[in-house]
Amino acid sequence: MTQVTIGDRIRRSWAITVKDMKIYYMRPPALMFGILFPVALFFTFTVGRNLSPDRLIPVLSAQTVFWSASTIGPVAIPMERRLRTFERFLSAPISLIAVLWGKMMAGFIFGAGITTLATVIGILWGNQTVSNPAALVLGIGLSSMVYSAMGILFASIPTGSPGEVIVPLNFVRIPLMFVSGMFIPVENMPAAGQIVAALSPLTHTIGLLNLGTGSPSVFGFAANIGALLVWMLVFLYVGQLFHKMIMRRE
Amino acid sequence: MTNTNAIEAHGLTKFYGDFLAVDHISFEVEQGEIFGFLGPNGAGKSTTIRMLTGVSTPTEGTAKIMGFDILKHSVEAKSVMGIVPDISNIYTELSAWENLIFTGKLYGVSKDRREKKAEELLQLFDLYDRWDEKTETFSRGMRRRVCIAMALISDSKVLYLDEPTSGLDVKSVRSIRRLIRELNEDGLTVFLTTHNIEEASQMCDRIAIINRGRIAEIDTPERIRTAMKSNQAVEIAFKEQTKGTREMLEKLSSVTEVQKRGDKLRLITNDSAQTLREILQAIDENGLVPVSLNTLGASMEDAFLWLTGAEMESEIIHRRNRRR
Ligand SMILES: Nc1ncnc2c1ncn2[C@@H]1O[C@H](COP(=O)(O)OP(=O)(O)OP(=O)(O)O)[C@@H](O)[C@H]1O
Ligand SMILES: [Mg+2]
Repeated sequence: MTQVTIGDRIRRSWAITVKDMKIYYMRPPALMFGILFPVALFFTFTVGRNLSPDRLIPVLSAQTVFWSASTIGPVAIPMERRLRTFERFLSAPISLIAVLWGKMMAGFIFGAGITTLATVIGILWGNQTVSNPAALVLGIGLSSMVYSAMGILFASIPTGSPGEVIVPLNFVRIPLMFVSGMFIPVENMPAAGQIVAALSPLTHTIGLLNLGTGSPSVFGFAANIGALLVWMLVFLYVGQLFHKMIMRRE
Repeated sequence: MTNTNAIEAHGLTKFYGDFLAVDHISFEVEQGEIFGFLGPNGAGKSTTIRMLTGVSTPTEGTAKIMGFDILKHSVEAKSVMGIVPDISNIYTELSAWENLIFTGKLYGVSKDRREKKAEELLQLFDLYDRWDEKTETFSRGMRRRVCIAMALISDSKVLYLDEPTSGLDVKSVRSIRRLIRELNEDGLTVFLTTHNIEEASQMCDRIAIINRGRIAEIDTPERIRTAMKSNQAVEIAFKEQTKGTREMLEKLSSVTEVQKRGDKLRLITNDSAQTLREILQAIDENGLVPVSLNTLGASMEDAFLWLTGAEMESEIIHRRNRRR
């Protein structure tokens, strides 16, 4: 019996990522919630408000990464439940966490890819200087992981239809946009609002993106990175627990 | 290693809420066996397979595959098995080739090996001409073959097949059965479920008869049939049949039970020759008009019905009555 090494696990998990990219990136709900929706929201909230590029670009990038990265899991997993291909992962020689990691990477690449594109367009169009490239890259990269994991967590809802995951997810996604300093700066919020903002991962995404374009981050670079990392692990771990719970019921 | 059982189930139990779908099932399958799980719809066959393959967590009990506990050493246990579920869960967005290659990757089969094996399997399953086509367009039989091929790409030691041939035409059924037998001759252990008695008795070395989540009997097809020898039957239909007719037949000394089968009456007996004599005499005495008379040897069907209980029997009668 040959041992299954860490390298093997990573390769198997990566195979899932590649397959998900092939199958789900071009699905209508992925395109709608991953691309159309953030672009539409961006214009709805920014047109006519006369904001400068250094205020606009973080909103554009945060909006895009938030919606796009969290969409792939909720599209892919319910469709796989319906066709019962999700079972293939459960009976394959790979742990559940590695399966979910592979799925998370598919959302990560989708989110990071689209957001990078949107951000580069924004920067070129606004003629914006990037004062902290590391913060910008981490803001996009780490956030893609976090929101992808959030999507995977919601996709533990045992249903065969993406809509039944996306609707509850929107009940979280939409309110989060309003408590995270995207439209009202965190400094101007009442104390209670600031506490909620500190807990929202989206606040920390915007913090990093602000640093990237030369604005301050309310909670600071280290807190932003720390909070995003913690959220990623929490989403992934709780997601795994929920998926296990479903297996016990099914 | 050769003494290790391919599958060992100990008290496997599954509750769905309050509903007990599988009730403390235990059995062993030796390496190289074809083991059949035979039972009616809803008996718990698929649920058992799902627990044995790690898809569903048992409420109680354990299972070992080639000596590896399915919960504690799940990666090792899952490395040695191939699974064909009751519906062909292939990726319809991908081609047959891509389906096989992806499965190979998931099971850690090296690149050279999985490509060689995928090609072999496509040839073997008569899919080679359309290897590059999306499987969306494939017929049910073709999808089934892709699904079985996927279960074989990783050199599995134990193959689970959940109703491998149901819904397929005669030609596909034959070719799939032949393939399973050939694979088994090469040493593969096969666990298959079916509600087709013929399939179970043709294919399997041993059969477990399962009903309502419990195993009623585990034995060879031959021995199950022999056990049923005492349950021969005579079937008779009359031009006119009253309640009195049935009572009269029930009184015959060699008859142990009378069952209604559509417009026929089936008399269960230990001695069909004696029953025939008694029937002919009764016909004469009562002036009845028989329209058909048959003797039936103990078939797997009888064995099955007898072992799974009278419950089934009354269900059949009930359903037939409703259809009228
Ligand atoms: N996910 C589920 N939730 C609730 N009940 C279930 C679930 N899956 C199966 N059951 C019930 O468990 C029982 C056993 O089902 P199972 O699918 O194992 O039967 P089966 O022997 O495979 O039948 P068939 O021949 O129809 O495939 C059935 O009564 C079924 O309704
Ligand atoms: Mg079934």
